[in-house]
Amino acid sequence: MLRVSGLFVVVALGCLLIADVHITTLDPWSELQRMALGFATPDFSAVGDIGWVLVRTVAFAFCGVALGAVGGFVLSQFFHVGPVRWVCAFIRAIHELFWALIFLQMFGLTPLTGVLAIAIPYAGICAKVYAETLEEADLRASKVLAPGADMVSAFLYARLPTVWVHIKNYTSYRFECGLRSSAVLGFVGLPTLGFYLETAFSEGHYSEAAALMIMFYILIASLRYWMRVRLIGLYALIAPFLLGGGVEIQMTNIVRFFTVDIVPSPLRGHDVFAAGVLPDFAGWLWMMLSDMALPGIVATLILTQIALVGTGMLALMMFPLISDKFLGRFGRSIGHGVLVVIRSTPEFILAYIFLQLWGPSMLPAIVALSLHNGAIIGHLIGRFSNQLVLRPDHATGINLYAFEILPRIYGQFLAYLFYRWEVIMRETAILGILGIATLGFFIDSALSEIRLDRAMFLIVVTAILNIGIDILSRRIRGRLHLSDTAQQLKK
Amino acid sequence: MKKITIFISALAIFIGIASMAPKAAVAETFVFTAIPDQDESKLIERFGKVAAYLAKELGVETKYIPVKSYAAAVTAFRNNQVQLAWFGGLSGVRARSLVEGSKAIAQGAEDPAFETYIIAHSSTGLNASDSFPMGIKGKTFTFGSKGSTSGRLMPEYYIRNELGGSPDNVFSKVGFSGNHSKTIALVQSGAYQVGAVNFQVWIDELKDGKIDESKVSVIWKTPPYPDYQWSIRGDVDKTFGAGFTERVTKALLSMSDPDLLASFPRSSFIPASNADYQPILDVAKQIKLID
Amino acid sequence: MLRGVSMSINDGERVALIGESGAGKSTLISVLQHRYAADTAFVPQDLGLVGNLSVFHNIYMGALQRHSMAHNVLNLVWPRPSEIARVRPIAEQLGLGDKLFSKVGELSGGQQQRTAICRAIHQGGPALLGDEPVSANDQHQSRVIMDAITTSFDTVVLAMHDVELALEYSTRIIGIKDQNIAIDVAADQVTRADLDFLYMK
Repeated sequence: MLRVSGLFVVVALGCLLIADVHITTLDPWSELQRMALGFATPDFSAVGDIGWVLVRTVAFAFCGVALGAVGGFVLSQFFHVGPVRWVCAFIRAIHELFWALIFLQMFGLTPLTGVLAIAIPYAGICAKVYAETLEEADLRASKVLAPGADMVSAFLYARLPTVWVHIKNYTSYRFECGLRSSAVLGFVGLPTLGFYLETAFSEGHYSEAAALMIMFYILIASLRYWMRVRLIGLYALIAPFLLGGGVEIQMTNIVRFFTVDIVPSPLRGHDVFAAGVLPDFAGWLWMMLSDMALPGIVATLILTQIALVGTGMLALMMFPLISDKFLGRFGRSIGHGVLVVIRSTPEFILAYIFLQLWGPSMLPAIVALSLHNGAIIGHLIGRFSNQLVLRPDHATGINLYAFEILPRIYGQFLAYLFYRWEVIMRETAILGILGIATLGFFIDSALSEIRLDRAMFLIVVTAILNIGIDILSRRIRGRLHLSDTAQQLKK
Repeated sequence: MKKITIFISALAIFIGIASMAPKAAVAETFVFTAIPDQDESKLIERFGKVAAYLAKELGVETKYIPVKSYAAAVTAFRNNQVQLAWFGGLSGVRARSLVEGSKAIAQGAEDPAFETYIIAHSSTGLNASDSFPMGIKGKTFTFGSKGSTSGRLMPEYYIRNELGGSPDNVFSKVGFSGNHSKTIALVQSGAYQVGAVNFQVWIDELKDGKIDESKVSVIWKTPPYPDYQWSIRGDVDKTFGAGFTERVTKALLSMSDPDLLASFPRSSFIPASNADYQPILDVAKQIKLID
Repeated sequence: MLRGVSMSINDGERVALIGESGAGKSTLISVLQHRYAADTAFVPQDLGLVGNLSVFHNIYMGALQRHSMAHNVLNLVWPRPSEIARVRPIAEQLGLGDKLFSKVGELSGGQQQRTAICRAIHQGGPALLGDEPVSANDQHQSRVIMDAITTSFDTVVLAMHDVELALEYSTRIIGIKDQNIAIDVAADQVTRADLDFLYMK
């Protein structure tokens, strides 16, 4: 394990040498002061219906995750079929934001766009985790069932309950992710928290932005008090009606998306075998690869590898904040607060703050991604460390950390980190403000130029890269005998 | 057990979504949007008034929907989810090239002569000049939104022309701040040394006291170019009755309520045509933002 | 593994398999279970319970095959009064009446064992196969269980470690030693002492 960790650190250091992390600070303080002032004086009245904004954010998250979980559950039953596995890998390799942008083209600004943008990638993720969990199900009860019981009943009585706790915990964890996704979908125009947050933030209305962020922190921190299995039925009944209205969905737009928009421009409306069409297409392909895909892949990988190691280091530093091995009740509740704030603040806001501090380079992106993901993994391993039982005469302080806790959580920690790898890579997409030309930057450019053929091509390239990372990560986890995802997510 | 709750939930969600899905439109609503070029939080309020005005003038139900990006405005126009839009020069050209028969019908009195200001942080030592500031070469530079005319297209055009290379090649770093306010904030703090900004936003923020001129100042003004305009889809006459385009044009041109006009902010609206924006289309093609 | 064992069990017999642990009782039981799965209820050594479900649901599980899928699913979420009425007497008979809606995972070993027996009784049928079904219960409870088993099933084949109990409740004793049938006699033809050799090295 240490050798692999060392290898990743060396790779990240190598990337740091190539990466541009030059600091160009002039006078960031006036803007940072305005932000600090804004956050010190949150203005809850500025967003007219802040309550409704939150309700809608929850409603999108709920519908999206519920649909994704049910869809994922159905898919998990067929996960042994190769093509089903591939489809799942593909749909989860595309970021919610990109799904939203695709559906915006097809459906426009309708609730369906937001719900599907969450549901589809989540179905792919849930299918994988559910399938792995069910594989570990205890089969003893199934074996004694009288013959003749139908498959569904047998499954529901004898198999599902044995893994129900893991499925429930995992799904509720996904719901927290869903809330973040739902909020972020506002950046592209859905009426969730991100819509108002992005506006307030980019207009420099920091008091308003602060109010929105604080409400969001409270929402995430209080999740376990209101997200109860018992209430799911009730939520499901009302949530679909809280998504708000939207524009009409028109079939012609959907058809045009598939038959015109995403067809590479040299092929559009031409006979493929007509003179000059194929060479044009080859030129287009070459341009896409050499000008966008390849430089995009390089930048994405460099940023990802550095941020991955940064995430790991920060997670190891932050998990004691919520661990009962290090802090008392009071300290832990503060620690929880800190981690909620860090992991729930959208990366682009973190990146903007660091951009002010250090000027444009890869550094703000690295720190923003590492902090956000480090807080998520810190939260997970902090929770895991709380289950450890120590000898009564255990060491304290730094010795406790280094000799008793760290060795025991390290496997789990690596498992989470490798699992997060592809997530970090997906997130490198949204840092265009820094001008870092990741794949996501080029996709965003193509979409803003309404060149959907280019966007689609790059999205597919991104998905393939993601699948590659996913496979690599699984290989490494397998080689290190790290428990797989299902195992990790036990509470 | 809980499984059934999930099934019932799923069913409810499907029904819920289905109930929101398109219903055959009984009475057509005339929908418009606007590019989110500045203070978005006020756009809803601002265009709500415009919607009320148009509804009264046109006698059809009129609705404004807010969008989050220039591209989203173009897409909504293209998808016939809005029939009228307040576009910038580039977004308008793009939208009209995607929708056959659509036309520019009105522009602000100020729009035929719009400008971009190139602004720089004081530490660069660059001063205001009448000729293109060659000294910005090698500096860090931020545009506004990727789809903006004043924050992207026109400055990029002049940069390519004067400095003889793409922004990536002539600057040490190129960012996209997302909007004009952020461009000013980023250059003022020195995070970026130089930036390109919509001149109206600059003037407004200067008036509001948000700009510290000892830190950031205008170093060059582009020659005037045509920018914002109202564009309408070509098929509205079919949907809303013959002569509808003309009625919309007339309503826009005769808008005289200072309160309404101030929200754009424009002194009045004057006629516009697609041909007015040929220069923008040419520039966009030249720097390959449009095929 | 068992070597060249052949045996037949007649309807109405109550057979006890006895012998040292490791002698091959469990193997024999599972062979029988595979062969007669269609019409025997089964209580394996690991009990085959679902810890996360209530005693009621675990017992009801013996009857899944008798009901429609919809009924089963509904009963899972919201226990049907009619099913409770059927399950409760069985549970009460074995002293689980007050635990009907406790999670099985929270019960003692003896209570879990009785839950598994209740499930087998609820499943019903002509025969029961059990692998040490009373091992975790005291003498008194064991007799209650054996009474319940013998009144519920015509034919019973149990692996047992308690020779006394085996002699008391069985009609036929099969002694297993070194993976082979060492003795096969009617229960009233032998005494405890006759069987001691099974447990000697």
